[in-house]
Amino acid sequence: MIQLKEVSKVYQTKTIETTALNNISIQVSSGEFLSIMGPSGCGKSTLLNIMGMIDEPSSGKVTISGQSISNYHSKALARFRNQKLGFIFQSFHLINELSVIDNVELPLIYRKTSARERRKMAAEALEQVGLKNRMKHFPGQLSGGQKQRVAIARAIVGKPGIILADEPTGNLDSVMGAEIMDILLKLNKELGTTIVMVTHDETMAQKTHRLIRLFDGSQVQ
Amino acid sequence: MISNYLKLAIKVLGRRTFFTAISLFGISFTLMVLILLSAFIDAEFGNHQPLTQKDDMVFLERAMMKLIVQDTTWEVDSLRLDGNMVYDSTMQVKDITTSTSTASAGYYLCNNYLRDVTGAVNYSFYAPSRTFDLFIEGKKLTFNAIYADAAYWQIFDFSFSHGRPFTKQENDNASQIAILSTQAARNYFGSSSNAVGKFLELDGKQFEVIGIIKKLKNAKPFVSADVYLPLQTINPMAINQDNLLGTFEAVFLANSEKGKADILASLEQKAKQIPLPNPEEYNNLYLKGTDLLGRYALYVLPISDNNYDKAKKVFLLITISLLLLFVLLPTLNLINLNVSRVMERSAEIGVRKAFGAHSGSILMQLVFENVILTLLGGIIGYLLAYIVLYLVNDSNILGEIVLQFNTTIFIYSILICLAFGIISGLLPAYRMSKIHIVNAIKQHQI
Repeated sequence: MIQLKEVSKVYQTKTIETTALNNISIQVSSGEFLSIMGPSGCGKSTLLNIMGMIDEPSSGKVTISGQSISNYHSKALARFRNQKLGFIFQSFHLINELSVIDNVELPLIYRKTSARERRKMAAEALEQVGLKNRMKHFPGQLSGGQKQRVAIARAIVGKPGIILADEPTGNLDSVMGAEIMDILLKLNKELGTTIVMVTHDETMAQKTHRLIRLFDGSQVQ
Repeated sequence: MISNYLKLAIKVLGRRTFFTAISLFGISFTLMVLILLSAFIDAEFGNHQPLTQKDDMVFLERAMMKLIVQDTTWEVDSLRLDGNMVYDSTMQVKDITTSTSTASAGYYLCNNYLRDVTGAVNYSFYAPSRTFDLFIEGKKLTFNAIYADAAYWQIFDFSFSHGRPFTKQENDNASQIAILSTQAARNYFGSSSNAVGKFLELDGKQFEVIGIIKKLKNAKPFVSADVYLPLQTINPMAINQDNLLGTFEAVFLANSEKGKADILASLEQKAKQIPLPNPEEYNNLYLKGTDLLGRYALYVLPISDNNYDKAKKVFLLITISLLLLFVLLPTLNLINLNVSRVMERSAEIGVRKAFGAHSGSILMQLVFENVILTLLGGIIGYLLAYIVLYLVNDSNILGEIVLQFNTTIFIYSILICLAFGIISGLLPAYRMSKIHIVNAIKQHQI
């Protein structure tokens, strides 16, 4: 499903060169739930961003669903992300001015989906995360756990094959964190969605199919 | 997608009310001034009665006479050659103007030399500068008068609320008849509706009122008056003297651009052929015709030698420069405000891009939001302009000029709003649409 071959990422300024990822090769199978762990600054989020095509590797090859994306221009990349990928962020990144359902509809806006169909799909996604009764609410009226559930609904509304979650439980307490983890596990199990999750929580990581560890930009496990 | 943009645009406006208020103030104030200016320009230069044929008119507003004499100057150079002084002299003969007289044309000039101007399909002579003091029930009224021939009413298409214009025969017979403006009729008779058939006393003579004209939209002195009288009723001194200069103007009507050019050339040609009564006093006559803009420009910018072309160029340059400056300053200010507004939203833009928005759709969204802001400012500006326009008309601050909204001004206002919105939103939106997703998402606040 996702294949990274000898991927490196180097940040370069005039005076300093920082290696964020060093020659990483990973293969994520379809339907797999993979977690990535490592200390802060080891390159976990950079790796996730490269998998999500929102960052480019300095060298190496990235293949997703059998398609090499190195030659894609920005519009094609945007279309690819829209159809194949869903993102969940640690800070939720909901748009406060939009209602819950309008937030969930966001990825569908960039497809040729009718307004009625968008509403229907967004309502279904909210039902999946148990928030159908909060459709008309605004993010400011929700708890952290509820916000993250809205973010999950936004990530799955377009039925992408892959979900990339960057510390989805990082800003939540253990009870809410566990709820979010249960939803992700259910998505993976019932819909067969491939999930790659960056986490600091060993307990959460142990619930996934496979765990890889990074240290100073290199894979150590 | 548009409804989503619209929804978000409205929400974003409410997010930072202070910024929104400043932006709206800048936009609405600028647009108000532009709308008022458009209304003023429309009133002055629009196709309104009695100037619907203005584009075919050539005016002879004034004539100029000069005494040009030849002046001889000597230059003496000296140098020392082989110990001796050597002198060399050169002589230059130049034309110099020793005196100039500029005034309206005399009736003698118009009547004898300007009835066969090439290119003119109609012409009229009129004298617009006379005023009368009238007393009614112990109250003093001052009436501006225009003495005009019958063709005046064919070239300037006045609208009559009652009665009619005078005919050629009535003018030739010096019939003591008058046409009044609506306001003058009200002031003198108390009403404009029953004034026709009544008599008006001017300089001790009784003039029968035969027509009432509707209120004009502009106050140009050659069409705006309280009373219009047959030219032949003017003081006989004014028409019997053989002076080339006097108190008359002429207007010539052409039926094509070529006709107008012919009229201008013909006037210049005639000026060279007309014998001058006293060449020792003035030995050159100049007759320069012009269009409405030319006479307006020369009125605003008194440029020497009645140079209408130069006056028009300078007038247009100053007007356009001021307009551009007036639009440019708030636009730059709005761009600046927009940059800070948009930069605050980098995380939102990052998320949108992560979920499939490409740079073009982000650009469109942000410009759309700005257009909504400017249209909102436009509505406020339009309402403000409406109020100010009412106050200006009501206070008579612009004299006879009546500012009005019409479809053209409305369309211009909408276009100005759109242009304003697009121009001021494009640069910040372009910058933001190109932002790197990872950097954008790192901004935690949406």
